[in-house]
Amino acid sequence: MKKALSILLAVVMMVGLLAGCGDKSSKTAEEGKVFNIYAWNEEFKGFFEKYYTVPEGITVNWIINPSDGGVYQEKLDQALMAQDSAPADEKVDMFLAEADYIIKYVESDFTLDVSTIGVKPADTMYKYTVQAATDSKGRMKGVSFQCCPAALIYRRSIAKDVLGTDDPAKVQEALSDWDKFNEVAAKAKEKGYYMTASYVETYRTFSNNVSMPWVDKDNKLQFDPLIEAWIDQAKEFLDKGYTLPAGIWDDEKNQQMFADGKTMCFFGPAWYYNFCMGNAMDPEKGCFGDWAIIQGPQPYFWGGTWLLAAKGTDNPTMVKDIMDTFTINEEVCSKLVENEMQFSNNTKVNEKYANDPNYGNDFLGGQNDTAVFVELAKNIRFEHKTQYDQLLNEQLPGVFLDYFLGNITREQAYANFYQYVNEKYPAIVTPDEA
Amino acid sequence: MSRQREQNNYLRRYRSISYAKWGYLFIAPFFIVYILCSLIPQFLTIYNSFFESYLDGLTQVGPNFVGFKNYVTLFTPDNNGVIGIFKYTSNTLVIWLLGAIPQFVIAMILALFFTSYRLNIRGQTFFKSVIYMPNLIMASAFAMLFFTLFSNVGPVNQMLIQLGILEKPFDFFRTRESVRLLIALMNFLMWFGNTTILFMSGIMGIDHELFESATIDGANSTQVFFRITLPLLMPIVVYVVITAMIGGLQMFDVPQVLTNRLGTPDRTAMTLVMYLNSYLTPSKNYGMSGAISVYLFAITALLSIIVYRSMIRQRSSR
Repeated sequence: MKKALSILLAVVMMVGLLAGCGDKSSKTAEEGKVFNIYAWNEEFKGFFEKYYTVPEGITVNWIINPSDGGVYQEKLDQALMAQDSAPADEKVDMFLAEADYIIKYVESDFTLDVSTIGVKPADTMYKYTVQAATDSKGRMKGVSFQCCPAALIYRRSIAKDVLGTDDPAKVQEALSDWDKFNEVAAKAKEKGYYMTASYVETYRTFSNNVSMPWVDKDNKLQFDPLIEAWIDQAKEFLDKGYTLPAGIWDDEKNQQMFADGKTMCFFGPAWYYNFCMGNAMDPEKGCFGDWAIIQGPQPYFWGGTWLLAAKGTDNPTMVKDIMDTFTINEEVCSKLVENEMQFSNNTKVNEKYANDPNYGNDFLGGQNDTAVFVELAKNIRFEHKTQYDQLLNEQLPGVFLDYFLGNITREQAYANFYQYVNEKYPAIVTPDEA
Repeated sequence: MSRQREQNNYLRRYRSISYAKWGYLFIAPFFIVYILCSLIPQFLTIYNSFFESYLDGLTQVGPNFVGFKNYVTLFTPDNNGVIGIFKYTSNTLVIWLLGAIPQFVIAMILALFFTSYRLNIRGQTFFKSVIYMPNLIMASAFAMLFFTLFSNVGPVNQMLIQLGILEKPFDFFRTRESVRLLIALMNFLMWFGNTTILFMSGIMGIDHELFESATIDGANSTQVFFRITLPLLMPIVVYVVITAMIGGLQMFDVPQVLTNRLGTPDRTAMTLVMYLNSYLTPSKNYGMSGAISVYLFAITALLSIIVYRSMIRQRSSR
């Protein structure tokens, strides 16, 4: 009896295996049935599911890993390096990349020149989004569905209390450079407010305006004067109690977005308030509508999500289709602006809303945010990027927090940062290496 | 007569049969798995530590033979004269000791309570399960829980502020002592149950008559413990201390999660394995991490020998 049972089981298993083989070999040379997308959060997935109709018979498989600590890149790299040997249904078809590390993928051979599948740079795309996705030989590897000029986002009620006005033009006047920003911070402190909710809040405003990349041509680490300026500012802000010792994504900071929060300014692009300010939109504890945006002390950009095609994809038609849908399809781009508070990568659509006197964003108290961003987008310079930027930008503030809190000297903080860089990127030469 | 011969034949035949081969066959799976999954990787690690091999973005660099360069880098002081690897070794040992000493003491006391025929505690199985429970939780989940509890906006800080003990939140994760104590506390909570059960089984293995006769001779509890229980328990104690130490030297997940990979503050909660791990992501630097592994192996072997020698000597001198 037992013997019969085990033979039966063995036969069933063999049949199962053979059936698996049969599936693969019988597949026609047409496009794949499974579409694999790598992403680091649910943002694009949400838009994709709402505005893109997946062709019949194709299953979309999202592989989502958090970006924090470089986990996303690590998993993606593993998959890309195994791309050639992976079975068709497991090949990466498309992946998302962020401004901090897009260069690594664009310059690599793991991405597909999308002109070969019919994707072309459109006149309506913001120039920097095309430039960022184009390698040094002029091959375009993907597109972005958003343009990410960033703004200073302030609480209207707190601005009224501190500055006596919540009118964007007047608030901008009061915060038009860093000296004025620091003065207002002192005033806010007197009234019992924080200027920002995280000491890292202003980091991108400095780091995305740098005049030299993190490493020089010989791969030597270098500190831009603006990074040093940020270190000075963060130290001063924490010493004087203008901000909190919380990281940019920490709960401690996010709690400040509730109505009972005491923080006046947040910094970020359109994706920041539509995707990361959930607490402010909370129907009970939030403060929907009590916000407005201005340029702030310095124009900058932050992040942005590019869609890149992986070389070896078995779904080129669908890749092209998705890329076109989210960039040149005006209907979809309009919905992104109107329903999702996005700033799309379509100048024509954006300008339509910027010039529409009836358009306003309720979250920002009816302010026309698209009009603000159309102006800010003109300043974006996508320059001085390296493939190492993500971890360097992510962890520099973390390593220096010990210095800001007075646990160690500035010199020790530099030494710890060099050590961190040595561990993460052996190819970078740090000043403590001979 | 023929019966006698038959018996002789039988004996001759079976005397020549060796049962040892069955023994070898039964232990073979362990050795095969050990060689494949432990011994070969160990030699590969040593081999790799002499090479420069890492990923630069998506480009593989090496492997190039570099001799002892990785070891030289490991022992070179930084700009402030700190030799990282020594700092992380002492971090690891300090944090381990902070948790391990109370762990051994409390576990010993509990084991004595549970095995005492005088106390005869009821519901032993229940208590044993409960003290073992924390060990069943994944260490990283446990660390995440503590991270939430002790964060600047967590319930512990809120409670202390509401009670008027603190004015503003105390940053548990950016203060050397509190970070180390929290890690030690977590390790203690996770392992004291396990140690208790090991000690209990050791004490229960001691002949009961020894305790009884000692009591009849008028020995008090302290004397019974130091003269009878502890000396006879020594083999178990040595085993527990050495395995706990090896586990302690490999401490990783709790501090990694609790300090968000940085070993804050000022890398004083950075353990050896966190340091090793840092070289692996994202650059897969097998050369440097191999060198750290070899160092870790040497330290573990050395400390184990020291602990073993000192404890065994103590035992024989008694």
